[in-house]
Amino acid sequence: MTRINQGTPVTEIVETLRNSKGYYITNTARDLSQSDFKNRILLHTDLMAAPARERAGYFSLEITGGASIHVDILRKQVNPFLKLRKLRESMPNTMFQTLCRGANLFGYRPYPQNVIRFTVREFAKYVDVWRTFDFMNHVPNMLAVFEEVATAGKLNEPCICFSTGPEHTDDFYVAKAGEIIEATGRDIVLCIKNHGGLGTPTRIGQLVDSLKQKYPDIPLHYHGHNTDGNDLGRIIEAVKNGATIVDAADSAFTGFYGPPPILSVVQSLKEFGYVAEGLDEGAVIETSEVIRDQRQYYDQFESQIKGFQPTVQIHKLPGGAMGSSLEQASKGGFLDKMPDILHKELPRVQKELGNYWSVTPGSQILWTTAVSNVIDGERYGNPSGDLRNLLLGKYGPFPFYKPDEWIYEKVLGDDWITVLEEEGGVEDVENMDLALERYDLAEQLGVEPTDEQLILYLQHPNDAVEFLKFEEKYGRVYVLSPAVFFHKGGFEIGDKLAFRDHQGKEHMIEIGPSPVTDTGETSVYLTVDHHQSSFTFKPDVTLSEAGEAMLSKEEIIDLAKAGDVRSPFSGNIVEISADEGQEVLVGDRVAIMEAMKMQTPILCEMSGIVTAIFAKKGDALKPGDRILKIDQDE
Amino acid sequence: MLVCNANTKGAPLKKKILVANRGEIAIRLIRAIQELGHGAVAVYETPDEMSRHIRIADEAILLGDGPRCDYLNIEKIISAAKKTGAIAIHPGYGFLAENPFFAKACEMADIIFIGPSSEIITNLGNKVTAREIMSDAGIPMVPGTPNLSQGKEGIDQALAFGAEYGYPVMLKATCGGGGRGIRRIENDQEMVEEIPMARSEALASFNDDSVYLEKVVLNPKHVEVQILADSHGNTLHLGTRDCSIQRRNQKLIEIAPSMIEDQGLLDKICETAVKAAKASNYFNAGTVEFLLDSDFNYYFLEINTRVQVEHTVTEMITGIDIVRNQINLAFGYPLSFTQEDVKPRGHAIEVRINAEDPKNDFMPEGGKQVSVYRSTGGFGVRLDGFVYQGYVIPEVYDSLLVKLTVHGFTWDETVGRLRRCLQNFAIRGPKTTIPFYENIASEKDFLSGNFDTSYIDTHPHIFLYDEDSSEVGKLARLIAEIHYRKENPYAA
Repeated sequence: MTRINQGTPVTEIVETLRNSKGYYITNTARDLSQSDFKNRILLHTDLMAAPARERAGYFSLEITGGASIHVDILRKQVNPFLKLRKLRESMPNTMFQTLCRGANLFGYRPYPQNVIRFTVREFAKYVDVWRTFDFMNHVPNMLAVFEEVATAGKLNEPCICFSTGPEHTDDFYVAKAGEIIEATGRDIVLCIKNHGGLGTPTRIGQLVDSLKQKYPDIPLHYHGHNTDGNDLGRIIEAVKNGATIVDAADSAFTGFYGPPPILSVVQSLKEFGYVAEGLDEGAVIETSEVIRDQRQYYDQFESQIKGFQPTVQIHKLPGGAMGSSLEQASKGGFLDKMPDILHKELPRVQKELGNYWSVTPGSQILWTTAVSNVIDGERYGNPSGDLRNLLLGKYGPFPFYKPDEWIYEKVLGDDWITVLEEEGGVEDVENMDLALERYDLAEQLGVEPTDEQLILYLQHPNDAVEFLKFEEKYGRVYVLSPAVFFHKGGFEIGDKLAFRDHQGKEHMIEIGPSPVTDTGETSVYLTVDHHQSSFTFKPDVTLSEAGEAMLSKEEIIDLAKAGDVRSPFSGNIVEISADEGQEVLVGDRVAIMEAMKMQTPILCEMSGIVTAIFAKKGDALKPGDRILKIDQDE
Repeated sequence: MLVCNANTKGAPLKKKILVANRGEIAIRLIRAIQELGHGAVAVYETPDEMSRHIRIADEAILLGDGPRCDYLNIEKIISAAKKTGAIAIHPGYGFLAENPFFAKACEMADIIFIGPSSEIITNLGNKVTAREIMSDAGIPMVPGTPNLSQGKEGIDQALAFGAEYGYPVMLKATCGGGGRGIRRIENDQEMVEEIPMARSEALASFNDDSVYLEKVVLNPKHVEVQILADSHGNTLHLGTRDCSIQRRNQKLIEIAPSMIEDQGLLDKICETAVKAAKASNYFNAGTVEFLLDSDFNYYFLEINTRVQVEHTVTEMITGIDIVRNQINLAFGYPLSFTQEDVKPRGHAIEVRINAEDPKNDFMPEGGKQVSVYRSTGGFGVRLDGFVYQGYVIPEVYDSLLVKLTVHGFTWDETVGRLRRCLQNFAIRGPKTTIPFYENIASEKDFLSGNFDTSYIDTHPHIFLYDEDSSEVGKLARLIAEIHYRKENPYAA
């Protein structure tokens, strides 16, 4: 029973794994949160779990990366760096693991080299194991991360993204692994990233076997999702064929799309004579007992559709995107179209677009294209900016075959051959002037930012500024339990909320009355640490205005045709592409909006002159909010 | 002179005393009056109708709508005293405290003015007369001029002074005070330009356009001595205070005793102060101010003929209630203790907690409501304030909310207590000077007792702090929002 502690040199970690008779477990808490709880599991809950998780003796705890960094600042209002520091205080020996999207880092499109390196250097201070992937399995997209991780003395865990289909052969993956090892050297852990939970147990067993045959000295880490309810079977076959590390999660929170329960893995593999190295089963059980009661407060973030989805083998959506896709379908009112989208259109689009790997940001491209193809009626009629970039080869070359020419023509236009020649190729993102970015952020915050604040800003500029201002105003709110943070409907008078602040000081807030004055203002009385405080709220004008202005999709299209360009969905303005006074024609791009990680061009529905611009870059718009006004040229 | 007789039980007869002031000092005076068994009459202007001093006093009289002019209206205040049967008036500090016409009007109306006579106030209030008195008594003086003549002659006098003593020099309004009416002159040209401006400003502010010059003592320490003098020929001092930490000549932090280690020098300064008081036939409580240069030469600055804002630090280290003594002295009682009875012990620090934004050039935060007011307490802590939770700070008066005074046996203990008290204090609504003082209470020069009047300018980092450092206050705001909006808009 050899536990690997945080701080062990990389060569020693890899050597221990090579010589291991049993297998190790990574507690994939981050992926569980992302796949089954829309990434909302709070640091508060992770801190409750921390002492037992520390004793459990995992290979690692995956607790950051993926979409979590964005959601940390966007929704959970916690600083991702502070989160790692707080967890480290209660988990000194457990290695922390991240999921890094290669050149896309923790965002949705490629970053310049200097931003990648700066970001990895700062996060590597806290993160011991770097699971890095590229959705096109294009190794050059990951090189900068590999280098920085190695320089920081942390463990590289490059991924081969896995999928199914006639092209996805063992030969292909063995060659891909060779390409990676060529770049990283042999002191790594190689990950099979099965983000969809695809393939049968037998298929995974074969792949592991082929890789082990070719690279017997490279420890393999199998990462899967339980979307079809059968990841346990794949895990067992992976370990039986030589995988050294597998992913699983705490049973108190396991759902349908994330990893399966740790204890089920351990119990099943015991039958086959495999021992979970360093693992304290008692502590695994205890972790779930400690946090089980908290799950009720996350109810609102669980999937709209309950139950496993064995049809994932058809639509191949990654576990991490299941929740958000279903949420989008539910909010967009097209849940009834899901069978068409998931079981007919998605597999078709996937095939048409080269059968690459359905994982961020490629999975969003497939999903958005399929949704738009079904909802808008005309296939590839309203291509997203990211689909355009995909066809231009900005993310990397198609791994197996290129889409048909008619798709290029649909997306890039009649002169697609010229466009492809002029704009095609892997995007070489120019380095950013970090001093200038730092200055811009200082301007917005009013104080000189720290390196960590700057990194958050470089990842998600608008959201980072919003978050840092939030933190300044409301403090470090991770100390509030989900029962408080997610509370809906107001508290009861007399409710007492006790908590410790980030420095460990005890506080008590008691809810008092909330009288409304003649002028409509509400005063909320709270007794804060036994002293009365009051907070006055003016009636929320913006809310009622939005309520009145809510337009239907048809109305928004009608208005656009009359030159009143409105936001068709909830999202942020990435770019206003027209100037006031500019002449525009039907089909011209006047703005770009971003929602659900996808950029969508807003096209002109009426030719004329732009006479007014209401929205600006960075604005968060609701459906029906004004973007700009076009008047007929007279 | 009216002499107060004791009644048959030995306690003084209950008298009514009118408090011609507002804010924290009104409450301070009312407390002393009530402790003596007398009755306190408060006066107020309409913008102060929510002020706490009205509620604490035994009765209160509305002077008028103000603002400020009614607190300065001698006639109205005398008539309020007459109407309520008050036999004495305590002016506090500011407003009419050093107005000789007010003291005179009291004398004429047969009302006891709690302070020195109008003649003393006149002499010492005129900076040039005061300089003459002190100079005759052999008190060390900063080189300076008499009142400058009008017109070109005065400017020539001024330029000659500049040539003899060198720049910079201070151009001062003869009737100025409290840090007002002072200009720093760096060269001949400025001298020529500034004198007419200073004259018109002095005329507007003090109704007297006389100005004079003094040589500038560069980066001095401001050391002052508290004096008590009865009408029976006894004058004594209560030791020194250091008020060097100022911004634009307004004191922010006051300390007793001075941190100068040379006790012999401090004794000498105190003796000089007593001598200065005697030279001016001083009566009641007063403060003799000195400047101390880097070579430990000290120069007479002025005598303040009132109770000072910072009298609390002297009270803390001596145990002597200065306001109580002021009242008794005014009533003609002799001092009940001798110089030998005055035994200062330990250190005291007073900070003026103002509703101001230090980062924004100490911009007053008047007009805001104090949404949270939680004060501190414990051993060696004294508070002189008047605000309460829910109080809206009037925009028309000064921004002092509360004076925090701490006392400790050693300097380290005292500074540690100050720091602790500032951390415990919670005022929400207006920005205050609290976080600024917290920085000073952790600053190493302050900790080592090393500061002079250049302290604020030479320690710019004390302005770097987070506005609202109370984490729980911030979290409470989020909880209030969740409660009001019925969900957390930031976590949806």
